[in-house]
Amino acid sequence: MDDTLILVVEDERTISNFICRALSSAGYKPLPAAGGKEALTLYFSHRPDLVLLDLGLPDMDGLEVLTQLREEPGEETPVIILTARDRESEKVKALDMGADDYIVKPFGVPEVLARIRTTLRHASRVSQAALGKKRARYQVGGLVVDSDSHQAFVEGREVHLTQNEFKIMELLCIHGGKVLTYDFLLKQVWGPYTSGDNQILRVNMANIRRKLGENPSRPKYILTELGVGYRLLEDG
Amino acid sequence: MGRLRARFWALWAALPQVGRDLGVTVALLALASLGCWFLLQYTGQENNSALVYVLAVVLISLLTNGYGYAVAAALVGGFCTNYYFMYPYAQFSLELAGYPVAMLSMVAISLVVCTLTARVKIQAEEAQQREQSTRALYELNEKLDREKAAIRLEKDREAMRSNILRSVSHDLRTPLTAISGAAAVLLEEDLGERNASLVSDIKTDADSLITMVENLLSVTRLQSEAAAIQKRPELLEEVAGDAVLLLRRRFPEAEVELILPQDVLVVPMDPLLIRQVIFNLLENAVRHSGAPGSLSLNLFREGEWAVTQVADQGRGLSHEVLAALAQGRDLPAQEGDASRGMGIGLSVCRSIVAAHGGSLEAENRSWGGAVFRFRLPM
Repeated sequence: MDDTLILVVEDERTISNFICRALSSAGYKPLPAAGGKEALTLYFSHRPDLVLLDLGLPDMDGLEVLTQLREEPGEETPVIILTARDRESEKVKALDMGADDYIVKPFGVPEVLARIRTTLRHASRVSQAALGKKRARYQVGGLVVDSDSHQAFVEGREVHLTQNEFKIMELLCIHGGKVLTYDFLLKQVWGPYTSGDNQILRVNMANIRRKLGENPSRPKYILTELGVGYRLLEDG
Repeated sequence: MGRLRARFWALWAALPQVGRDLGVTVALLALASLGCWFLLQYTGQENNSALVYVLAVVLISLLTNGYGYAVAAALVGGFCTNYYFMYPYAQFSLELAGYPVAMLSMVAISLVVCTLTARVKIQAEEAQQREQSTRALYELNEKLDREKAAIRLEKDREAMRSNILRSVSHDLRTPLTAISGAAAVLLEEDLGERNASLVSDIKTDADSLITMVENLLSVTRLQSEAAAIQKRPELLEEVAGDAVLLLRRRFPEAEVELILPQDVLVVPMDPLLIRQVIFNLLENAVRHSGAPGSLSLNLFREGEWAVTQVADQGRGLSHEVLAALAQGRDLPAQEGDASRGMGIGLSVCRSIVAAHGGSLEAENRSWGGAVFRFRLPM
């Protein structure tokens, strides 16, 4: 962990300052960049393990920076987007363009650190999966999702999910910790030609929650990302 | 004399059109006859009288309306020339050679001239009317332009006001995030108890300013997009759950119990705005009820309405606050820091709920504590 290099792309010096300080207190190595061009240069010369990217940059559109980072084939360095609250469509776009997660301004230090931890863990798991370790069974706390037998358990008790509900849970587990947008889930579960109406997904999710005995004010397994999508809550 | 003349013109103007035209005709014919009489008396030449009458007819056709008077004048003139001013005097005669020709040609010339003048007059009138309507059109156009400009100015001003509020809020958000963040980083370090409590105050205040800025931003969003809040079907429980998580992050000591309905409440809304409403109500309860310990957040269905209810076990609301809420007034300005921000928070709640077509109400429970409740159409 002590040599995990994090590129912090943020033009507001005061914000960049406290993020970098928080990162180094937590044992990471921060690398600040104040603009898009500087960020790209630093990125290709230092090869950071993770990028925190503010979307509102003075010299370049943050989404454009993201595109250029993702252009390199096989490039999987996780990117977390920093965005203002009222630019919801922008963060969904960034996620669909390959960003791994997002943090909404104004944010707090614990939130930033938690997101970084989750994203790094997820990234290492994805590279394991790429090595051929496909998993048939996922376990998060008291939740077990078994892809082979199509069964789900909570605290050892079997939960009877419909086929679509099971697919949703499976997707959340496969991408453990990553935000899955409504659009992504709809297309994966209901096929690429479903209408943009995500109400069916929401109702399925409400039913899953009731079956798992989950209360959204104390989420144990599923976290709602308002206006964006869902993610599986991993411990920590 | 001047007064007499003025009186005459006033009388003249008061006459009906027919009277005036008749007056002009009679006066000019009389003048022409007088002229001819003089010519006959002093020069003895009689042939000029026809020309004098033609002149009179031209003037009459210029000064009166239509052909009628001029034609009548031409006939009278022809007759008078013949009767009074040509030999044999004082009797009508067409016997002398040339007389009929002279008579007829005089009448004919008079008629042609008066037709021509009448046409010229009509054209002149038409031109004048055209000019008048052009001017009227032009003036109307100018007036419209002025009104348009005024409306545009008012719109611009409104947009500017809302833009300023928004950009100020935006500009405040970044430094406030930095202040709160920096304080949070410092709190992680070993500061000693005295410093730690100061830094913690910095963080608390920065956080409550952030809430206020978020409220302001919500209001500007409502104002600028009043007709079109982006409503889409959302799960009320998810929005409520998120508000609780947000509250817990800000006030870790707060205890909120979210009570879900059996059926799924899907409500058309802007989720961020409704989350703000629920957060504000919860935050109010935490900060102002005097008993931040246990709050309940209850979601249920009442007919076609989805109801969200926040109940605390605190000291309840004062009469002033209850009355202001019931009448839809802004809250009375409160003394002291304890209630700072309560008014803004609640009026933001009310405008957001109203923009969704819902209503907000509050009451005290008989066994203690206050209840805030808002309903949204499903």
